[in-house]
Amino acid sequence: MSNMIQVKNVSKEFKKVIKEPGLKGSVKSLFHKKTEIVKAVDNISFEVEEGEVLGFIGPNGAGKSTAIKMLTGILTPTSGEIIINGQVPYKNRKKYVKEIGVVFGQRTQLWWDLPLSETFTVLKEIYQIEDKAFKQRMDFLNQVLDLEPFVTSPVRTLSLGQRMRADIAASMIHNPKVLFLDEPTIGLDVVVKDNIRKAIAEINKNEKTTIILTTHDLSDIELLCKRIVMIDKGKKVYDGDLDHMKEKYGKMREIHITLKSDNDINKLSFAEKFGLTGDDIDIALDGKKAVVKFNSSKAQVSELLSYILSTITVKDIAVGEADIEEIIRRLYKGNENDETAHGNAAAVEA
Amino acid sequence: MMRFFRLYKTFVVQQLKQLMEYRVDFLTGATSFLVGQITNIVFISIIFSQIPHLQGFDYYEIIFIYGFSLVPKGIDHLFTDNLWKVAWFIVRKGNFDKYLTRPINPLLHVIMETLQFDALGELLTGIVLMIIASIKLGINYRFGNVALMLLAFAFGTVIYAAIKIAGAALALWIKSSGSILQVFYMSSDFAKYPVTIYNSAVRNIITYIVPFAFTAYYPASYILRGNDPWFCFGVGTAIAAVLLTLAILLWNRGLRAYESAGS
Repeated sequence: MSNMIQVKNVSKEFKKVIKEPGLKGSVKSLFHKKTEIVKAVDNISFEVEEGEVLGFIGPNGAGKSTAIKMLTGILTPTSGEIIINGQVPYKNRKKYVKEIGVVFGQRTQLWWDLPLSETFTVLKEIYQIEDKAFKQRMDFLNQVLDLEPFVTSPVRTLSLGQRMRADIAASMIHNPKVLFLDEPTIGLDVVVKDNIRKAIAEINKNEKTTIILTTHDLSDIELLCKRIVMIDKGKKVYDGDLDHMKEKYGKMREIHITLKSDNDINKLSFAEKFGLTGDDIDIALDGKKAVVKFNSSKAQVSELLSYILSTITVKDIAVGEADIEEIIRRLYKGNENDETAHGNAAAVEA
Repeated sequence: MMRFFRLYKTFVVQQLKQLMEYRVDFLTGATSFLVGQITNIVFISIIFSQIPHLQGFDYYEIIFIYGFSLVPKGIDHLFTDNLWKVAWFIVRKGNFDKYLTRPINPLLHVIMETLQFDALGELLTGIVLMIIASIKLGINYRFGNVALMLLAFAFGTVIYAAIKIAGAALALWIKSSGSILQVFYMSSDFAKYPVTIYNSAVRNIITYIVPFAFTAYYPASYILRGNDPWFCFGVGTAIAAVLLTLAILLWNRGLRAYESAGS
């Protein structure tokens, strides 16, 4: 398999004006500008194979969008090298963008006041698609994304889910080799999310499209991506498969208990008995239902179960695996501690 | 080039369809422009009924220059109005990204996207005023001066467009450059009157810096008075070409500096 995407030591710096608060500060900054250099993306490298779906994740402000914008040729990196589909995005932009598709979930590229079909007519011209190829393509997208019911409605009247399907279709009309999906399921309800995920999976399967997906919804990742790259504060903090990450950053397990009496939970002392403290344990109580999350590398599930059952009376008890959200939260926490220890090296006074 | 026109046609067809969606808006826009122009003419009429001559120019000559100025302004307004949106909010709101993910030159894309039909009001007023003034003044139109006049409309339009491109390009650095552009654009109002009424500082500025004098007074003065055609049209063409080149260079630098916005 060849590498479709190669990212080598890429950084992006922005100059940021520091403003003192209030009107006085604003006026002051008009005359005396204090700026600092912010490294939005800091020396990131990774590769993506052809046909792979890569989950690109990180908290808000981690530099995800900046990275995606460099990959799509919108921004020029301050340093480093990007080669996608044999081209440098920001150098040969016009040629490069012919073979990629981009969806920014929070913005639409559809013509707002016109029927959806008109957007496709314009895109057909923009990408110079032959009539026959265009028809085939529309048939395929119709089948995958089910556009038929609203293709003649003005875009402004579409629901968010319909609009997102339409936007994905619009980004796929020219049969791109690489597809960038920035938050494609944002704001959608569960059923619609599921449909979109299925469509993305099908596109990837049928067309061998390489897909880079950024999302906050970790179910997207779990269902679509085998591999993830996680960035935080501009730096790559993880690159590998999902299962491996779960192991590396602790396997959190959950025990769901339905109590007979509310305050029974206080009779349990996991700290004393198993040495589970701080991040390794979390107890949430909602009425008579309690959820105990704990790090299974520190204590055995069976030991906890027998301890609980022998100490209190329970109506019901079940064991589950904690979701990836929990793991990522823990990973972020770990990094934050790192940051405070080393200080913020990225900010430089200019 | 063929591709450009095909694409343009597609965009224009979309625009027309959009216009049909918002007929009331279009009619209001066109009417308000017409009303604005009429008010202006009434204003000029009132002033000139008091002062029949302005630096040797009589009423209909002033009307001719005024009408002349509206033609390139109107043509530019018709074709490049989207640049205002770039200057005011397309960049600031982060919607400029779209233009960079399409296989079209971003500047052409921005321009192609909008035909501002409101401008037809301006254009029509200009032409009507020129016709009325020409009849009253008994201007003798020959092939030569008509050709030069069309040339002047062309470079006049280029001057307007270049200033708007440069103004919009600033937004690529500072996010919102609408008010800066407006300051420069407003100075085109000076071009509606004979430049001889201004002092030399203003005259030099509107001749060489923001050369709006070439969009109306200089070419019109040739038609009216036979002023030096080399200066009126030759220098005009050269200045327009230089200005457009500089504007495009600035725009391209802006694209490289562009930092996008939001997520």
